Amino acid sequence: MSWFWPEGFYTLAMITAFGFGAFALKLPIAVAMSFAAVTGSLLGGAGIPLRHLVEGMFGYIDTILIIATAMIFMKTIEATGLLESVAAWMIRKFRSFPAVLSLGIVFLIMVPGMITGSSTAAVLTTGALVAPVMIKLGVPTLQTAAAIAMSAIYGMIAPPINLPAMIIGGGIDMPYVGFGIPLLICTVPLAVFTALWLVYPSLRKKSHDPALEEELSRMARTPLTARLFLPMAALVVLLGGERMFPEVWPSLGMPLSFLIASAVGIFSGVKWNIPETVNEAVNDALPVMGILMGVGMFIQIMTLIGVRGFVVVSALALPAWLLYVGIATSMPLFGAVSAFGSASVLGVPFLLALLGRNEILVGSALSLIAGLGDLMPPTALAGIFAAQVVGEKNYFRVLRYCLVPGLLTAVWGVAVILGAQYIAGILY
Amino acid sequence: MLSFNKGTRTSAAFLLAFALVLAAFTGKNFLEMRRPDRVVPAPGFTSHMLSEWFPNISGTPVDTPVFIQDSGVPGGSVLIMGGTHPNEPAATMTAVIFLERATVSRGKLFVIPFANMSAFGHNSPQEASPQRMHFTLPDGSVRSFRYGSRATNPVHQWPNPDIYIHEASGQQLSGSEMANLNRAHPGVEDGPLTQRLAKGLLELLLREEIDLAFDLHEASPEYPVVNAIVAHENSMMLAAMVTMELEAQGVLIRLEPSPKNLRGLTHREWGDATSTMPILMETGNPSQGRLRGRTDEHLVMTGEDKFYAKAAQLGRLFIPYVNDQPMDLRVARHTESILTFLETLEFLDPEIAITVEGVPSYGEILEEGVGAFLSPVPDQ
Repeated sequence: MSWFWPEGFYTLAMITAFGFGAFALKLPIAVAMSFAAVTGSLLGGAGIPLRHLVEGMFGYIDTILIIATAMIFMKTIEATGLLESVAAWMIRKFRSFPAVLSLGIVFLIMVPGMITGSSTAAVLTTGALVAPVMIKLGVPTLQTAAAIAMSAIYGMIAPPINLPAMIIGGGIDMPYVGFGIPLLICTVPLAVFTALWLVYPSLRKKSHDPALEEELSRMARTPLTARLFLPMAALVVLLGGERMFPEVWPSLGMPLSFLIASAVGIFSGVKWNIPETVNEAVNDALPVMGILMGVGMFIQIMTLIGVRGFVVVSALALPAWLLYVGIATSMPLFGAVSAFGSASVLGVPFLLALLGRNEILVGSALSLIAGLGDLMPPTALAGIFAAQVVGEKNYFRVLRYCLVPGLLTAVWGVAVILGAQYIAGILY
Repeated sequence: MLSFNKGTRTSAAFLLAFALVLAAFTGKNFLEMRRPDRVVPAPGFTSHMLSEWFPNISGTPVDTPVFIQDSGVPGGSVLIMGGTHPNEPAATMTAVIFLERATVSRGKLFVIPFANMSAFGHNSPQEASPQRMHFTLPDGSVRSFRYGSRATNPVHQWPNPDIYIHEASGQQLSGSEMANLNRAHPGVEDGPLTQRLAKGLLELLLREEIDLAFDLHEASPEYPVVNAIVAHENSMMLAAMVTMELEAQGVLIRLEPSPKNLRGLTHREWGDATSTMPILMETGNPSQGRLRGRTDEHLVMTGEDKFYAKAAQLGRLFIPYVNDQPMDLRVARHTESILTFLETLEFLDPEIAITVEGVPSYGEILEEGVGAFLSPVPDQ
């Protein structure tokens, strides 16, 4: 009982308060998270600690800026007509090769995640680009969203940039060196599976449908000129330059890069309503930004009153045979507050608990499992934005289709950990 | 049922006003964290600023006090630096104890208690750290010191890149490490603030020809390099002698070689770039660990935590942890280790020996507490 009391009670109370706020009072998720945080701090004897509530929110200020600006970028390329025109071109070009197209779509979604280390960036750039392609080619909306979410997560985990792996490695002073092949081992088989499981079956059926041509003509009404590609080209140059030539390239950061690329849309040769687009983008991003602020408060109070320690040590206290189950469940679940948070709070202790195996492979696998946190509500950055990209309001309907690849991801991550020594023997 | 989906101009104005009041209230609290802690240097210390050695940081939030006590008698030059990471408070308090108690009769002693001054001015989000810790002095007065963050204040250096590339080696780290002083060495002349601060420290080492330099730290009890000395090749012989001596005194401590592929840390870069013998030391601090429970000043001062006790039972820790890991013990370990280094220096090379008196021993700190060795702050 002394183990559970009072931190275990606080844990249940905070979860209950969140559920009550979100479902009984029908508060917005962001407000329900804040309500749960305040409930926890009151029960924990910390009163209403304004300093802690505000400080917790600031943990996500960079993420919030990325979300807002990435959304502006997505709405810009949608407003200029680039999204639909590219979709039409891709369908015409590749519809006779459904297997290649499936793999190509997944890889295309992964690329921005691989470069930026952000699943949100992947969903809101190439994810938004290929969503209409997939839907027009007959992939059901929910499966489209699921494929985009999963691919974006694999992109975030695939090399060269994997922030959760850097965070986990940083926790034990392990430099981010030699992660390339282990991260490819973690992600490529899963990306291929996702393409074949979620995308290919529908593409194969629909790609020869003659009725599609009429729709494609409508979509391609904006001619695909070089100028139309300017915002996307600007983004590739800005983000790619920073990664490829870090010695000479100014570090603008993702938010500024997205804003500059959006502004370049002015020169795309298409007239569009800029204030309306920006307004719509921020409006669409607002709920998620609010959720992140609520989550920030929630984590800060969890830490303040001891709930975080309760969760982490409970996971570490699992018997050896259950440790891997604990890793496969607790890391994605903690990702409900943030995948990066999961990497830091749970990934580092788990890596320490598994010292003696190949740390690079174990760290890579743990980062993969932590990445699943981007599917976990209420934050679910990859999932919620993927749902938004395809126009689906209820994310939980998308989550259903993420279940199989998600479970496989967790199993694959644990398999890599278990086989770390064997794989290392082959690699090194 | 209340509806939260219909916004009006009135509700917007109300929420905006509420946000402004909240910002004003908490902003005042956050700004108070930037007021420097007062210290009372022992007689003989002169006060300087790091910018005297590296003007590029003059007037910036990372310029920091450097205290020097020169005995006038030829001997070695030794630097004791705390506050690289202000969330590792035993490091800062050890430097403060030397500053407030030391009498140097041979050689020259440099003390930097608040290495990353900017990082003392804020707390890391979502860590729920206390803002201050308090020490009661023998005269009944109370002194407080700030418990800061591992990173330079983002108000002073922001945003971080997504990837931090250590300039001297090209090593890639998570972007947040850009604001970590102990990943910034040997520093960059015109780089971001943290990198310039590191460059300033290097300039001090070079120009003052520091023979032995301590960078004091604390680590989570679950981290393998804890209760440890990390030594560069330059300082390994001395560190090995000290480790044996400390063990003979009953202060068990690990000796770790500085990894050659982990760049940006004092124990690697200071040794590679200067002729100094760099030493990094770690004690076990539950208040910065990931397994900790309730996070408050009590945890910082006592290290009492039932989750760490459980983790110790599970064999997950690298320090002998029963129920606590008090500040007094952590400061005593650092202090005794430094004193042993200073004594051993004479055996290694008498020309760089230094004699420091007046600093309490391991047993004295454990018995009387850190507060007993702080000086009362005179009225302003």
